[in-house]
Amino acid sequence: MYKKLIKAFPAASAVAAASGRAGAAEKQAVDGLIAKLRDKSDKVRAEGLLSAVEVGAPAVKPLAKVMEDDDIEVVRAGKRALWKIVRNVGRPGAGNEKKAVVAKLVGLLGEKQSALVRREALWMLSEIGGDETVEPVAALLSDEEVREDARMVLQRIPGRQSLEALKDGLKNAPMDFRPNIAQSLRQRGLMVRRPASVKLVPTKKTNVKPLKDEGT
Amino acid sequence: MKRTKQLNRREFLAGAATSAAALSFPYLVPSSALAARGRAGANERLTMAHIGVGGMGGYHLQDMVKRRDRGEVNIAAVCDADENRLANAVKTAGKGVQPYRDYRYILQRKDIDAVVIATPDHWHGVQMVHAAECGKHVYVEKPACCTIEEGKAMVAAARENKISVQVGSQGRSQPEAYLAHRYLVNGNIGHISRVDCFHYPSPADNNPVPDSDPPPELDWDLWLGPLRWRQYNKRYCHGVFRWIMESGGGQIRDRGAHVMSCAMWWMGADGTGPVSIEATGTAPTKGLWDSAILMNVTYTFKNPDWTLTWTQMPNDKLPSAEKRTGKEPGGKISRPGYGAIYRGDKGEFIHWGGDGGTWAEKKAREWKPPVGAEDVYKSPGHKEDWFKGIKTGAKTIMNIEAAVGVANLCVLGNLSFICGRKLRWDPVKQEIVGDEQARRMMGRPQRHPYHL
Repeated sequence: MYKKLIKAFPAASAVAAASGRAGAAEKQAVDGLIAKLRDKSDKVRAEGLLSAVEVGAPAVKPLAKVMEDDDIEVVRAGKRALWKIVRNVGRPGAGNEKKAVVAKLVGLLGEKQSALVRREALWMLSEIGGDETVEPVAALLSDEEVREDARMVLQRIPGRQSLEALKDGLKNAPMDFRPNIAQSLRQRGLMVRRPASVKLVPTKKTNVKPLKDEGT
Repeated sequence: MKRTKQLNRREFLAGAATSAAALSFPYLVPSSALAARGRAGANERLTMAHIGVGGMGGYHLQDMVKRRDRGEVNIAAVCDADENRLANAVKTAGKGVQPYRDYRYILQRKDIDAVVIATPDHWHGVQMVHAAECGKHVYVEKPACCTIEEGKAMVAAARENKISVQVGSQGRSQPEAYLAHRYLVNGNIGHISRVDCFHYPSPADNNPVPDSDPPPELDWDLWLGPLRWRQYNKRYCHGVFRWIMESGGGQIRDRGAHVMSCAMWWMGADGTGPVSIEATGTAPTKGLWDSAILMNVTYTFKNPDWTLTWTQMPNDKLPSAEKRTGKEPGGKISRPGYGAIYRGDKGEFIHWGGDGGTWAEKKAREWKPPVGAEDVYKSPGHKEDWFKGIKTGAKTIMNIEAAVGVANLCVLGNLSFICGRKLRWDPVKQEIVGDEQARRMMGRPQRHPYHL
């Protein structure tokens, strides 16, 4: 099929070749970045951080793997690199670059990822995600491990869809999580009577005792 | 919730008697119950509680104990999420002072007039707003807020509940701050078009450790409060929370809230804000801490036009400190690593410090005001100024509006640094303009139930 296409459209073969070269260059850039970030030397990891922004969306998934390394400093380097990419594509006018990164981040919300990766991806989406992210984020309201982060992220993503997702969440969430969602809806400007806010209700008792009067 | 000062005396005493009977500790009569509606009497003792009693909170408690011993205030309660710190605070405060882990128990007590909040920065907004909603006057450590939205909520809560708020940028209340202010407003260096703040770098986390379980004395959930959940790490607390962007924000939010506070006060710029903010700097590349190590931020103000800069620079680039005898109003300069240079069309002026120590250049200290010179407000002391605010309704020297304006400078500097680009700001609407990502970062959703 591919060979037939090349015969029929000679220009397409040139595009495919160029695209192949670009793909190879992209892979090389990603591999280079990941190798530096996994290096044992602080200095080399710092060099890697400098190139993260240039690599962009193709680095997102590999960086998520870096964030599951055994070395805590490698984990941190991966996280820093990913945030640098997110902050860069959030700039005004970075439409397609942002879309590409958002799509990759949505791909990190699945159960195969660790809670650390899913939480970071959620908070990254809270800064750059739009309507297209609402459904996959809202699906996590029923996932006990990350539901509180998902709730806060929906609160932050502006627009009607995220608001509707929170309203649905309030109806369908288990009773113990409804106060959290109600809080988000209040922050979004809705009057929610039930469940009532418990923000001023103290819950944590100390074991420290006051000094006693002598003789008592 | 019904506010203490909205109760009449009989209602209050009846309620307090019932509550006191039900509880195992003595209730105090708040000064507001004995005085004119809404204000403590001029000679009444205010009843205080301290929320956050380590670090700067420990200093505030010791200071308040001295005031109690002089018969100026009562101390009813102390609170901390760290049981060791709380136990120490009980020893410092003495008998009759009730310890709490959860500050909301304090807010429920109707006998408490005012609270001193000296928790990590990420708690300031929530605790101040909650205290205001419960009718308590508030002294809250600087910086006032961690996000733009928190700041707006703090201003609104103070206004709606008519409470007196003093924010702990105490540099404004120092004797040499008065001298510097008076010197500058009388045109001694001419028209000032630029103020350059300087500071040594934020530290890097050179001793990183892996995440672990929190120590048994620490309620990690309560310490984190409004912040999103994460595993405990020793490098979050105590004290070092300052070097984490979410909870402290680095030198720009710690000392920037002092040095830029003086600049805004002396430039007559409280209530105004910049139209653009542009930051560059170097971010840490290892460890937990993520605040900028070196940093340069330029704030551009319009109508009137002037420029404010904040620079975290290597120690060898800092201006050298003035030599002193120690007999000056502010004594010797003990912290020469930060301050600001004011650049006018007739000369320059420098001060060091800007917090508990504010040291003005000799020419300002020795300037004798001629007849007809403009005088400026001279604070009787930062806490005294707050007590005056509580008792008379007078605006405090570092009132919440001014403090949020200064904290916003710190927050916006960090946002520009994090985003890696220049930000435009509408100082009237208090909004970032034309940058959706940065706009979202004006607020930060808070963890349930620790929220505004």
